[in-house]
Amino acid sequence: MSLFSALSVSASGMAAQRTRAELITENLANAETTRTPEGGPYRRKDVVFQTGSAGSPFAEAMNSAMDGTGGVAVSEILVDQRDPEQRYMPGHPDAGANGYVAYPRINPAEEMVDLMSASNGYQANVASMSAVKDMLQRSIDLLR
Amino acid sequence: MLNALSGNLESYLDLLSVRQKLISSNVANADTPGYKTQDVDFQTEFQSMMQGGQAHATEVAGLKVNNDGNNVSLDREARLLSENALRFSAVSQLLRGQIRNMKSAIDEGKNG
Repeated sequence: MSLFSALSVSASGMAAQRTRAELITENLANAETTRTPEGGPYRRKDVVFQTGSAGSPFAEAMNSAMDGTGGVAVSEILVDQRDPEQRYMPGHPDAGANGYVAYPRINPAEEMVDLMSASNGYQANVASMSAVKDMLQRSIDLLR
Repeated sequence: MLNALSGNLESYLDLLSVRQKLISSNVANADTPGYKTQDVDFQTEFQSMMQGGQAHATEVAGLKVNNDGNNVSLDREARLLSENALRFSAVSQLLRGQIRNMKSAIDEGKNG
């Protein structure tokens, strides 16, 4: 029953890449945000991937032949700890005593490249999932 | 299954689906730091599966390792993905022929 677990493996890859794309969009949207609930400017977030189970109890029960090979999971979300960028804007309500405002340290080019990589990764998982679907359909057609 | 040939075809399909899962897993882990590409040695594993053994995955040697320790090549996986689908389609056609023969034998017996 490897084919059904291959579907959940691809699904876990799609979910992981989507989480990554969501964080990148959040970073881009907040590139100029100087106020957050935690105080201070917004901080860039990034994902860390690790190999993990494909996360379907049905697949786990059926998956006796190939234990140990699995999908991917987001193990943690890293928050950028670098110092914020200082811009001299004395009129800004968030400016400090010296007239500098702390802005998030976000490089739009870097985010766009990451976004392309996440989108390519998602497409690759979709291609692999549709190949598995074709194979399943052919197995079903054996009895027609 | 029906006879020795269709039994072999069945193990072939089984091995293809094992390989398909490894390809899906490689694609899903294309951005996981430290992940190494997994695959089956097709010929050896097919021989062992025809004798009733289990397929074992091994790490693929000779791929370029990235800075993060990952060596998945999406081009390699794309090639294997289409190759696997073609093999599966060919072998499932053969198996279908076997099943059709068996069915027609059963039906003829019913009519006569």
